[in-house]
Amino acid sequence: MKFASYLMSWWLLFMFAQTTFAQTRPPLQLQFVHQQTLEPLANVTILLNGQPAGSSDVNGAATINNIKEKDKLTFSHIGFELASWEADNRATYTVAMIPLPNQMEQVVVIGYGVQKKSNVTTAISSIKAEQLENMPVVRVENSLQGRISGVNITTSSGQPGAPATVRVRGITTIGNSNPLYIVDGVQIEGGIEFLNQADIASIEVMKDAAAASIYGARGANGVILVTTKRGVKGKTSVNYNGYQATQAPWKKLDLLNAREYATLVNEAYAASNQGLRFPDVASLGEGTDWQKEIFNDNAKMRNHELSLASGGEKSTYFTSFGYFQQDGIVATSNSQFERITLRFNSTHKISDRIEFGNNIGYTRIQSVGVGTNSEWGSPLNRAINIDPITPLVERDPAKYNMAPYNNPNIIKTPGGFPYGISGLVTSEILNPVAALQTNETINFSDKIVANAYIDAEILKGLKFRSSIGADLAFWGTETFLPVFYLNATNQRVRNQYTRESNRGLFWLWENTLSYQTTLNNHSFTVLAGTSAQKNKGLTQAGAVDNIPVTRLKDASLGFNVPRADRNFWGGEYLNTLSSLFGRFIYSYEDKYLLSATVRRDGSSRFGSNNKYGVFPSVSAGWILSRESFFESVTPIQFLKLRGSWAVAGNDRIADFQYLATVGSGRDYTFGMPSAIFTGVSPNRLSNPDLKWEETSQLNIGMDVQFLRHFNASIDWFHKKTSDMLLEIAVPAFVGNAGPIGNIATLENRGFEFELGYNQQIGEVQLSLNGNFSTIQNKITYLGDDKEFLPGQTYGPQGLDITRTQIGHAFGSFFGLRTDGIFQNQQEVDNYKDKDGNVIQPNAKPGDLRFVDLNGDGIIDNNDRTIIGNPTPKFTYGFTAQAKWKNFDLMVFGQGIQGNDVMNLIRRFDLPMANWTKHALNRWIGEGSTNEHPRMTISDPNKNYSQSSDFFLEDGSYFRIKTIQLGYQLPQSITRKAGIQKARVYVMANNLLTFTKYRGFDPEIGGDSFGVDRGIYPQPRAFFLGLNLGF
Amino acid sequence: MKKSIYIIAICIVASACSKSFLELTPRGTELEDNFYQNEEQVFQGLVAVYDVMQWGNSGGYTMKMPLLTTASDEAHAGGSDASDQPAWVAYDNFTLDPFRGPQYGLWQRNFTGVYRANLLLEKIELVKDKLDPTFLDRVSAEAKFLRAFFYFDLVRFFRNIPLITKSLAPSEMYNQEQVDPNLVYQLIEEDLKAAINVLPVSVPVEETGRLTKGAAQALFGKMLLFKMDNSRMAEAAAVLREVNTSSVYRLLDNYGDIFNPDNAFHTESILEISHTTLAGWGDWGWINGSDGNVAPQFIGPADYNGPTYSAGWGFCPISMDLVNAMQGDPRFEHTIIDGNALKLSGATYTERYQNTDYFIKKYAPVTAYRSTIGNVELNWPINEIEIRLADTYLLEAEALVRSGGDQSRANDLLNAVRNRVGLGDKVATIENIMEERHLELATEGHRFFDLVRTGMASTVLGPLGFLPNKHEILPIPQQEIDITKGVLKQNNY
Repeated sequence: MKFASYLMSWWLLFMFAQTTFAQTRPPLQLQFVHQQTLEPLANVTILLNGQPAGSSDVNGAATINNIKEKDKLTFSHIGFELASWEADNRATYTVAMIPLPNQMEQVVVIGYGVQKKSNVTTAISSIKAEQLENMPVVRVENSLQGRISGVNITTSSGQPGAPATVRVRGITTIGNSNPLYIVDGVQIEGGIEFLNQADIASIEVMKDAAAASIYGARGANGVILVTTKRGVKGKTSVNYNGYQATQAPWKKLDLLNAREYATLVNEAYAASNQGLRFPDVASLGEGTDWQKEIFNDNAKMRNHELSLASGGEKSTYFTSFGYFQQDGIVATSNSQFERITLRFNSTHKISDRIEFGNNIGYTRIQSVGVGTNSEWGSPLNRAINIDPITPLVERDPAKYNMAPYNNPNIIKTPGGFPYGISGLVTSEILNPVAALQTNETINFSDKIVANAYIDAEILKGLKFRSSIGADLAFWGTETFLPVFYLNATNQRVRNQYTRESNRGLFWLWENTLSYQTTLNNHSFTVLAGTSAQKNKGLTQAGAVDNIPVTRLKDASLGFNVPRADRNFWGGEYLNTLSSLFGRFIYSYEDKYLLSATVRRDGSSRFGSNNKYGVFPSVSAGWILSRESFFESVTPIQFLKLRGSWAVAGNDRIADFQYLATVGSGRDYTFGMPSAIFTGVSPNRLSNPDLKWEETSQLNIGMDVQFLRHFNASIDWFHKKTSDMLLEIAVPAFVGNAGPIGNIATLENRGFEFELGYNQQIGEVQLSLNGNFSTIQNKITYLGDDKEFLPGQTYGPQGLDITRTQIGHAFGSFFGLRTDGIFQNQQEVDNYKDKDGNVIQPNAKPGDLRFVDLNGDGIIDNNDRTIIGNPTPKFTYGFTAQAKWKNFDLMVFGQGIQGNDVMNLIRRFDLPMANWTKHALNRWIGEGSTNEHPRMTISDPNKNYSQSSDFFLEDGSYFRIKTIQLGYQLPQSITRKAGIQKARVYVMANNLLTFTKYRGFDPEIGGDSFGVDRGIYPQPRAFFLGLNLGF
Repeated sequence: MKKSIYIIAICIVASACSKSFLELTPRGTELEDNFYQNEEQVFQGLVAVYDVMQWGNSGGYTMKMPLLTTASDEAHAGGSDASDQPAWVAYDNFTLDPFRGPQYGLWQRNFTGVYRANLLLEKIELVKDKLDPTFLDRVSAEAKFLRAFFYFDLVRFFRNIPLITKSLAPSEMYNQEQVDPNLVYQLIEEDLKAAINVLPVSVPVEETGRLTKGAAQALFGKMLLFKMDNSRMAEAAAVLREVNTSSVYRLLDNYGDIFNPDNAFHTESILEISHTTLAGWGDWGWINGSDGNVAPQFIGPADYNGPTYSAGWGFCPISMDLVNAMQGDPRFEHTIIDGNALKLSGATYTERYQNTDYFIKKYAPVTAYRSTIGNVELNWPINEIEIRLADTYLLEAEALVRSGGDQSRANDLLNAVRNRVGLGDKVATIENIMEERHLELATEGHRFFDLVRTGMASTVLGPLGFLPNKHEILPIPQQEIDITKGVLKQNNY
């Protein structure tokens, strides 16, 4: 930079000297250079007083005749700021064109190669390292949230290290909809939490099938390509990034205190004609604040990353070390995540034509976790539902010497007092603090992802590449269940220690041959390749009972316990994929673009009848802005139309589904003393014709740059998934489960819009990026026999709460419709069917009025219908960045709109469970409310014991996800310390969330998608961070 | 140049699709075609047929003892509320319909048993020249017994069922029609007769729980009595007499010992379904894998805290009808838990839906047998006695009376049952025998079918909602009618 400005001033000085002595007006000689590289710039369009006046030649030079002083010259070039100059008396002038950031000349990674963004004809979104640097996240997928259109990221919970549900253009299949992750060419098994964010150079998301279909049978759910960093030639840099953060819940629920609770319970008893449960309400006071006992308002998080990048003539290196540790905001002792990452990437030029390189990453993760969204006793679910009257710790000797506290296995505080046991709320709703001491679980994982490649240029333009990659992982869990007594139904009289270890090895060998040439204006790139991969692994696990320890840290499988107290189990998995693929990219004058790919995959997961699948794609683009008829000075600088159609597959099914296998575990007991004998029978009926799920997708899109500072991408797509794997229903009298067959179909349609703005205004550099996506998901066929597939259930009654039903979105909410509350007996009596029968004879004033959908005069399961959708109608996000002098500010917000959340945080099957303060708005008399039914213990109208839209809430939210303010210390100061760059920043995560949702957090991903069973909320965190460059 | 092309060629050839690379065989599991080749494998196939007998959950909880006790006048459904186990509630108050009730679970369970038995019988045919004929004969007899056992349940619960005697080809799966129930009875009879000819009179101790000749004879007699074909009552009496006079069976001296879990497979037990804690099961998603009995968990008092028993879920509270009928009967204390008495001794429990404060004692969750491994709820090691000697005594007596046979033997049989608990003699009339069955076999799952087969159901169960010519049998599961596109016809529902 310094050198460039020096050169510039020299040029200007030189020219000024030349021109002052000119007498007659010769033609003006213009020279165009790239402001940063100083390379000559061809094809710069020149306007003289608004009229076309030619363009620069290959050497960046142009001559303008008949120039006068004060003439207005305007210069434009794709990807550069518009420049203008008022002519003076100079005869030569050099124009340094300032490149626009985010421009079309960027290179994006496509499968097995790279392509200029301007020439891409498929739907690919890309994120570069610079965009990630200011946004620390633990898991790489979270950095995509709100950043890219068409990708919906829903964090499954706020537990440290919790994965996110990633859906590229909606739910593609009723099976496994997770996208394919490829890191440096290696397919990743399991999640990508092993990646250190600072190691990432770019992330590309292949959204349409044409982009993904080069990955054939694995591409239907979208492909996320991650490329890690490399060293740069001639430059050595050392970087340190670190932060410390403190986290707290951003919201606590307003639960009833003991007095309010007792009041409502008394009311419920009275409504069921029972006497007062709590005669002296006032004496109960506030009671126990269980949330306080379980939440941590100062949970720590820390991150340190150190990297070295270096490059010489022949070799480059990038190496890094990262350490990350996070405490959870819920039950911190049992909810933690720690990660250590190491990386070594290098490239070596062996000769002019041969390059060798490798990428090696090692990651170690240790974590402990609690249940995050479960009615079966996650700590938060317990804290919400347990009554506030039960004390945290029972200190009253009159009580703790009596049952149940006299049980020898009771859990006690270090001080020797027993933890309180609720006599009011039972089942899984235990004292959450006591229960945390009865389950110690550690998850561990060691993972190495590595690849090595060789690139050889055989002839000019003809390149061969061979790449070998591997993902070797060791992971498992250790669990210790001590002896305990928590309540009558939750106790253990013998301890148990379990350790499960897994080993997985995935390897991949790919060879590609590519040829690139340009003949006149025709440019060709042809690629052909082969790929073979194998994925194998095993599990071994053991458990010992009744060992002489009380803590996990002392537990061992080595204790010599009797055979009957030992258990051992394990298993293996294995699958292979072998593929041929090719791609043809053609462009004419860089204006007309055409691309086609085909991949043929063979998989061990399918039988000989359908072992191979072929996945074609075709896409085309037209860069209108390069046409001569496209007026060069219009508000539009770049315009490309593109369209694609392709088929991709999904082979994410269990191994050997096509084979008729027998399985054990159909056991029976014989003998005295009794012994279990192994029984074996066929697992299910078999289907040798099993084949791939296929997703075809049509995509029409447009990329545009306009008004110099804006760029936008618009995409519309329609994708259809067919042959989805589903069990073929057979009558139960057949006696075994039906085979897996290719049956179901679904569709997704959507619209995506990305808009960016970049401009330097005075000393402020401003950049704004926004995106908006819609998605419409619809199940179209589930087989001749099925109208729906069952989905999520709730509680011990197994209430159906979601369904995947034809004509509706995947996993839609299912239940009765309500129509307000009966305000008086007359309303109950007047609610009649067409024959004059009272529809809800058991209802009382204050009960919910259910809609008799089928008109049969009774309310039952046949009146249930689809009542809501957990998938948002649209999602959006924006990032605003501003730089002024040494300060920088970034605001990132993200939101979803039009989805429902089912609020099931209260265990309605336990009538004595606590309520939130919202229940204080219950119906208490005619006209009191039409929202919340009356209190009742017996609940004869089943207000609370069946799924209905009473439990649905609007799950829309907008979240200020990140605000960051940074300050770069002046170099004059840092230079003295040998530091190139020193930046400090403060940051807040999840600072503000705007939502009408009444639970902890409207963002509910994972297995319990859209159903709040007391979700572990995401923390609000405040960071203090430091970036150093040497 | 040449060298690099050579290297490339090797790379491409080596990594290109080689067929064997994609042809894998699974580990840890056998292919059906390669299995059933030796005695061990054939026996494992047999164990899988036995396995279905102990299932408690197959499309809803369908443990026969508590379910049939609920259906009869002996107990209510109970649980947390009417929506806890709606299928049980529907059977209890006869609000069954094609969608609601225990039919799907019972249908699936018994047809699964039939499938496994059919498959095994076919596989035995394939190896009959290779394996020891004595071994195969016994396995075959057991498979036939079990097939008869499952069909007997199917015909009792549904009457109109398809009769499947082989594993079905895909083309046959959707067009099986219901048959005349007599054809089902005929198959049961053939299977049981074949079993009677082969099965041993008793088994060595390590084989305890495997089927015996006596079990087959008892089931045959029970089947004939259920059919209520008066022309065959003498035959029923004769086959039951063989059981009742067999040297291996004897009434226990002490009535209270019959359902003492310490006392499994005693001399009064003829057909007993075994359960164990040994699996230490913990998978709520596949409850049948446990080999434990989940019924005790259901019937125990909810949240119980006190001596002797462990907390259950409060299902099947005993009806006041049974409590009153048993007042003064010496078997009361061994049949019914008096919750009020427990409360007086300091115990507490939660009163749940339809609470009467009386609970089933015969399969109660006794703390001493609580599993120490796995989920307590799924691992109760408490066996189910399907047929015991007092049952066959009374059945023989009934058959004798109905066939005009030896009345004094009928009296002796009835009074052997009565005298054992200190009750005086009665004359063996049908009425007295049925009354004795009511009290002697209370809550063991016999009462509902006794009421149905003798035509007493509408009188006794009518007040509870029972309609004659309807509720004797369950609806055919609507799912089955839908999936066969109406090939299966609904019962009178």
